[in-house]
This record gives sequence, structure tokens and C-alpha cells, in this order.
Amino acid sequence: MTEVGVSLIVTLVKIVVLLGVALGVSAYLTWFERKLAGHIQARLGPSVVGPFGLLQPIADGIKLLTKESIIPKGADVPVYYLAVVLALAPAILLFAVIPFGPEFEVFGYKVKPIIADVNIGLLLVFAMGSLLVYGTIFSGWASNSKYAFIGSLRKAAVIIAYEVVLGFTVLGVVLLAGTLSTVGIVEAQAEKGVWFVFYQPVAFILYLFCMLAESGRVPFDIQEAEAELVTGYHVEYGGMRFGAFPLAEWYLNVMALSAIAVVLFFGGWSGPNILGPLSPYFWFLAKMFGLVFFVLWLHWTLPRFQARDVTEIAWKIMLPLALVNLVVTAVVLYMFGGE
Amino acid sequence: MEWVIFSFLSLWLLVSVVGAIFVRNPVHSILFFLSSVLAIAGLFLSLGAELIAGLQLIIYAVAIVVFYVLVITTIPWEKVKRFEGIYKRELIFGLPAVSIIFGLIAYLIIRGNLAEPVGTVGDNVREVGRTLFTSYLFPFEVASVILLVAMIGAILLGRKEE
Repeated sequence: MTEVGVSLIVTLVKIVVLLGVALGVSAYLTWFERKLAGHIQARLGPSVVGPFGLLQPIADGIKLLTKESIIPKGADVPVYYLAVVLALAPAILLFAVIPFGPEFEVFGYKVKPIIADVNIGLLLVFAMGSLLVYGTIFSGWASNSKYAFIGSLRKAAVIIAYEVVLGFTVLGVVLLAGTLSTVGIVEAQAEKGVWFVFYQPVAFILYLFCMLAESGRVPFDIQEAEAELVTGYHVEYGGMRFGAFPLAEWYLNVMALSAIAVVLFFGGWSGPNILGPLSPYFWFLAKMFGLVFFVLWLHWTLPRFQARDVTEIAWKIMLPLALVNLVVTAVVLYMFGGE
Repeated sequence: MEWVIFSFLSLWLLVSVVGAIFVRNPVHSILFFLSSVLAIAGLFLSLGAELIAGLQLIIYAVAIVVFYVLVITTIPWEKVKRFEGIYKRELIFGLPAVSIIFGLIAYLIIRGNLAEPVGTVGDNVREVGRTLFTSYLFPFEVASVILLVAMIGAILLGRKEE
């Protein structure tokens, strides 16, 4: 078989595996989150459908899929449907640049457990993170509802503000690693023998804030406030089209951004060899789901910031902090290290 | 194999550009425009210019288009739906000029030697950064000052008189 054919097949297999795993896991994260929220608030959480309520996500999925489809009067139908795609696609595409482990060999072919090992991996992360804003804006606009539209503008303002901060935050790590490639950043940490979270603690905290704000998690979720404002921008959606928005935003996005955080700050797949060849994957997933757990934990523990505080914190406090961090990193690197 | 990807991307680009011009609803038009920007990013990527592709996505597809989108979506719906007709006078004057320019550019591309490959570049990001901050430092900084002026102007215009 030709080289191209093999690489096509390998890539297709990787895409199918990743898509299945990401969507399946995010469906089960809903179960996990409800269980966790239940126990945090001294309730039981889902417990009726199946043992420990384990079949609850499947029941929810069937319910959402079989609901009557209602489209609001005067809605722009093509854009109304397109908005769902625009919300889901970037969240899934984020997974394309995540390296889950080191290179290995199968039947003499070298396989990298990453779909697109491009040397602008991080730029693609920013791009996809910002493209999420279109799903938000167009879902609010196409619904032909002022309430949904105001909700989408609220959310868009937050995403834009935090995307700027995110970009400047991550640049510190890029300076240390000397590359924009996600694989390269992990390898740089392995080479230096230290996780970048120790060199860039400020950047990590800022990244964490941005991650919470971008995925609409507490304490930055006043723009959605699902209990009080019923989320705003996708209020006119029903059935699975409604389900796609939280799936993309609360689960896929949180998982992808946690994985990026692991790549940037926690040394990616590095860790002691305890499971033989499977151990890099174990460490990567353990770190990633540790962060996901942390996000869920915050979500059910903390109160919210006020609406105007959310954007004000981004522009007036976090952006200057990120810039100072970047300048200090650059100066220190120029004086004491680097090439 | 490359021609498959190239023809797919260029077909996508052409369809979205034509759509952006001929669709009547401004929101649909901006969506076609967004799709064309994405197609151009794909073309850059297929040509091996990863950095430009990434910047195309971040700066063009997000930072710039998002403000068009915000402006257009906040226009009242009655104004959005109004169709002003085809601008006949502009068409009569514009069409000859456009076709002459198109002919000239086509001639240049077919006959001329516009871009010569300078050998393979290892790291796009490093090379672009080096060029930008050594050979072209002054124009680069002037451009940033122009942007700053524009920003201050926008803030002044946007301020309400107190």
C-alpha cells in the first residue's frame, strides 16, 4: 500500500476513535456532573435509571432526540440550523491538535496519537476557541427573539474579552518552549525536566480563569445563568439542537481546554512508568480529568461574579497581568537563558 | 493527491465568494464571507504557509469578521430586509474598470514571474518574526501607530457628549 493511503487510513481511524470517545465521554460527564452536584448539595443525584443512574445519559439522549422540533416564528431557518454546527464544530476541532501520547510503531508504521501535528498547533487552539463565538451570536440572532439575542451579545462580549487574555497568557509558555507546536511544548518540558506550571504560575491561574469564562462555568457564568436567565442565547432551541449547545460548551470545551492546559503546564503525557506502554495515556487522561473535575467542583461550590465585573476583570485586571507576565518572562529569558 | 485538496478548497472559495456577492440578506452574505475566509486559510495551509493560515483564522476569521457580524446583527430587522435594487449607474461605470483590472492581473499571473520560491523555509514562525523585527521594523511600528490613532479616534467618536 502507498504511503498516502496508509496515512489517510491511520488519520481516519484516529478521527473516528477520538470523535467516538470525546462524544461518549462528554455524554457521561453529564451523569458525572449531576452525581457530583448531588453529593455536594447533600442529594443523591440521578439514581433511578439503571444502577447508580448510569443509564440516565442514554435516557436523556433518547428524550432529546424524540422531542417535537419547534422552530420559532420568523426565525432564519438555515442560520438557525447552521448555528448548531458553528457551536459544535470548533469544540470538536480543538481535539485535533491535542497530543495524547508519544509516537509509537504499529507494523513498521510510525503513528502519532495526535490528529494534526502542525507546527502552529496553539494558534489553531486560539482560532477554534474564538470561532465558538459565531455559534453563540448566530444562534441568538437566528432565533428572532430579543431575549435570545441580548443573551448572545452578553456571551459574545465575554468570549471576546477572555480570548484576548488567553492569547497573551499562553505566549509566556510559548516563549519558554520556543515553539507553537503542541507536541513540541510537551517535549520541551520533558527535556527541561520541569513542568511549565512552576515557571509560569501566574499564566496558569490566568489560563484557568479564561477556561472557566470561555466554557461558561462558575464563577464566570452570569452571562448564561441557566437557572435564572435560562442561558439566553439558545433559549429558542428545542430537543437535541438545544442539547448540542451545553454539550459543546460545558463538556467538549471544558475537556479540550483542560487537555490543552495539561499540554501547556503539566508536561502532557510525562509521568512515572507504571503501566508499561499505556502509562503515557494514563497520565495524560488522569491530569486532564483532574482538571475537569476541578472545574465541575468549582461550578457547584462558588457563587457568581456580577455581570459587569466579568468583562471588567478581563480587560482591567487580567489583561495587564498577562502582559506584565509576558514582558517579565521575555526579559528573564533574554538575560538568563534561551539561545 | 494535492490537486484534489486544491480543487476542493478553491471550489469552496469560489462558491462562497459568489454567494457573498449575490445573496440579499446581509447576515447570509457575512456567513458566505466567513466561509470564504476559512477556505483561504485552508489554501494557505495546503501551500505550507502554516503561520499565515493560523493568522488568517485568528485575525481575519475571528477578530475582524466578528465585528462585522456584531454590527450587522444589531441592525434593525426592517432595514436588513429592505432590498435597494441593483445599482445600475455604478454597474455601468464599474464593470469596464473591473474587467480591465482583471485582465491585467490575469496577464501578469500567466506571463509574469511574480513569486519565486526561495528554497524551503524550516520554521515559518521564526522566519517571519526575524524579518518583521529586523528588515521591516520601521513600517511595522508605523502600522501599529496608525492602528493606535484609529483606536483613539473610535473611542472619541463613540463617546457620548457629557
